[in-house]
Amino acid sequence: MRIAVQRIVILAVILASWQGASLWFGAQWIPAPVATARALWLQVQNGELWYHARFTLSAAVIGFLIGGIPGAVLPFLIRRLATLRAILDPYLIAGYGAPKVALTPLFILWFGIGLESKVALVASVVFFLVFFITLAGLDSVDQKLIAAARVFGAGPALIAREIIWPGAIPYVFTGLRVAAPYAIGTAVVGELISSNRGLGYSIQAAATNFEPAKLFVGVVALAGIVLILNAVLDFCEKRLLSWRPTGGIAERAQTSF
Amino acid sequence: MKPRTGIVVAGRVLLGAGLVGLWTLAHRLLGDQFVAGLDDIAARLWEIGASGVLVRDIGVTLLEAGIGMVVGGAAGFALPFLIARVPGLEVALRPFIAAAMGVPKLALAPLLILWFGIGLLSKVVFVALVVFFLLFFSTLAGIRSADGRLLAVARVLGLHELMLLREVMLPTTLPFVFASLKVALPRAISAAVVAEFVAADTGLGSYIQNAMSQADTVGVFTGVIVVTVVVVVVNAVLDRTQKRAMSWRHSAIGGF
Amino acid sequence: MLKPVSDIAPDRAEPLLEVRDLARTFGARDGRAAGLNVIEGLSLAVTEGEFVTVAGPSGSGKSTLLNMIAQTDRPTAGTIRLRGKTIMDASTSTLTPGWHCQIGYVTQEDNLLPWRRLEENILLPLRAQRRLDDAARARAAALIDTAGLAGFERFYPHELSGGMRKRASLVRTLAYDPPVILMDEPFGALDAQTRTELHADLLRLWSLRRKTIIFVTHDITEAIALGDRVLVLSRAPARVIDEFRVDLPRPRDIDGLIAAPGFARLYESIRQALARQAPRRA
Repeated sequence: MRIAVQRIVILAVILASWQGASLWFGAQWIPAPVATARALWLQVQNGELWYHARFTLSAAVIGFLIGGIPGAVLPFLIRRLATLRAILDPYLIAGYGAPKVALTPLFILWFGIGLESKVALVASVVFFLVFFITLAGLDSVDQKLIAAARVFGAGPALIAREIIWPGAIPYVFTGLRVAAPYAIGTAVVGELISSNRGLGYSIQAAATNFEPAKLFVGVVALAGIVLILNAVLDFCEKRLLSWRPTGGIAERAQTSF
Repeated sequence: MKPRTGIVVAGRVLLGAGLVGLWTLAHRLLGDQFVAGLDDIAARLWEIGASGVLVRDIGVTLLEAGIGMVVGGAAGFALPFLIARVPGLEVALRPFIAAAMGVPKLALAPLLILWFGIGLLSKVVFVALVVFFLLFFSTLAGIRSADGRLLAVARVLGLHELMLLREVMLPTTLPFVFASLKVALPRAISAAVVAEFVAADTGLGSYIQNAMSQADTVGVFTGVIVVTVVVVVVNAVLDRTQKRAMSWRHSAIGGF
Repeated sequence: MLKPVSDIAPDRAEPLLEVRDLARTFGARDGRAAGLNVIEGLSLAVTEGEFVTVAGPSGSGKSTLLNMIAQTDRPTAGTIRLRGKTIMDASTSTLTPGWHCQIGYVTQEDNLLPWRRLEENILLPLRAQRRLDDAARARAAALIDTAGLAGFERFYPHELSGGMRKRASLVRTLAYDPPVILMDEPFGALDAQTRTELHADLLRLWSLRRKTIIFVTHDITEAIALGDRVLVLSRAPARVIDEFRVDLPRPRDIDGLIAAPGFARLYESIRQALARQAPRRA
């Protein structure tokens, strides 16, 4: 109860400072909260928001699937191919380290200013994120579980199926979870730089047309989408990984092996 | 089980050669306007290197990233400690922090350019914002992870606030901070470049953007390659530094 | 249900498992100039159906010894023989963990798969060995029942108490019935009450089918309570420095053990043997 009150007070302070800043600097720079809300409502009503959001979401989702699926599957395939992994290693690290959003112009050059360039950009970001987190998960599976299973006669196939894969699944999830907001953010960057549709485009257009209220609406809408996305992913994760303890740290004593 | 070094090196060289071959082939098949030739890129690099444009643009971008990094990093590191000093504030702020986390920071570039102009200031503010959030969340996570029992024991032992900070809070938080600094630096460079894409007159992003608007494919490729190399080099340097700093950590014996 | 096997004399004929002149040195690295000799010249022999406990100070290489017998680690010198056949020496190139399911290993940590329910965890070795038939299921169910785990078959490990997880890990090994079972302080991290319960459980389970057990511990009471024989290890580099026969009758009453005649004297002798291992100065 006290927390709720505190939060309401904080919210009030934030809105008041926003309003104050709007009055101080002028509404042409910072639109007042009410003006932003009105603009949001208007854009919801005339369908403009959904028109742009749909584009951004399509780019994010399609790119997420195109990059995420191979990113999650490939580590499982190359896990035991030590030589191949060693050969690919520097190239993958370079690919991971390369600033993908800075490569946007290349994607636009190749795929045009439409949806395809954003999809490709998102896929390139998502792939490397998911790939490396999944690979790290595969490598970090508890070696003691594997050793214990060897002692009771488990072969490589059983160890893979019973220990390594289930052990790595939470990492796959983490990878996808981490990548999801990136997918949205990357799609938006693509749209900022060159597009004729999407929330990023809408924000950029509002900035060049000097319509700060519209710009704020775009930002607020994006934050809302990411928050909803996170909530959905949280829910899925809890459902799928029911074997995991909720909260608390599993105490692991001194080693045996 | 361990891969043989000879095979690995040969494989890497072959793969690299294959990629270069693929590039050349793509250049032949798709033409100049889609894939710039390697020789053209080399010539362009030489040209902008000689004219000083390359150094100037790299310098501008790194300057924006550097100042933004310092300002945003310091603020993002300090604020969580201030919040932690007020009991209950962190819990009360949680939904607002989550909402702030939800905003794709890169989408704010047009807004900041609207507010702070197309010069250095808007880029610095933008980079600082991106870095601030990275540092803020990881420092907060570090403070949250500070062992409650350890803190209690330290209090019982009579450590006052400042000592508590130095002896318990900082050591538990620093690994988180270093980890996020490592993530933040390449991110800062990317952010500077993105802001320059949106509006700027100097810097690597602006160079690429200009090339794109003039359908100068060689320019786009050259710029993108320079940005990638800068980031990869920065990453490598960070990795090297981190490995040296962390070398005391590997000391366990035995085990499988 | 399984019937308890009646008494057999433990010290007859040739040993089932024999360790001779075993040594293990961990390599020099990380600034340590010399290698670390954990075990040197360690020999022991265990006959069929015998319950041997090995007591030693902390850090005396007890886990390392069991790791080598279970073949999850490799000795620097020495041989390990099972039924007179050498299964491991310094020249062995590939490790065969568990020696074809002949040697079971109950480790310090329960090592249950967190994503598998209790029953699935217990049946996993049988599944791995393609021996999961109705008879095996029935035997596992009987063991689960005897260990007091009935009703918890569908629980995930994290939903069970520490003591229950230990029981599950014990039953998992007993269920596939390896002739030799190694136990590495399996009850180390538990409270005294739970430990005593588990000692009783273990002895009850053991009495069903007298497996050959090597049980490592640093707790003298535990060593006496469970074993037919107590071997005392030296500080590192470890070897067997003393041996005590435990003549307490079986089945043993764990709760009243301390009051049993002869317990105190035995305890004192073992304590002194361990105490003679004066702490080394570095």
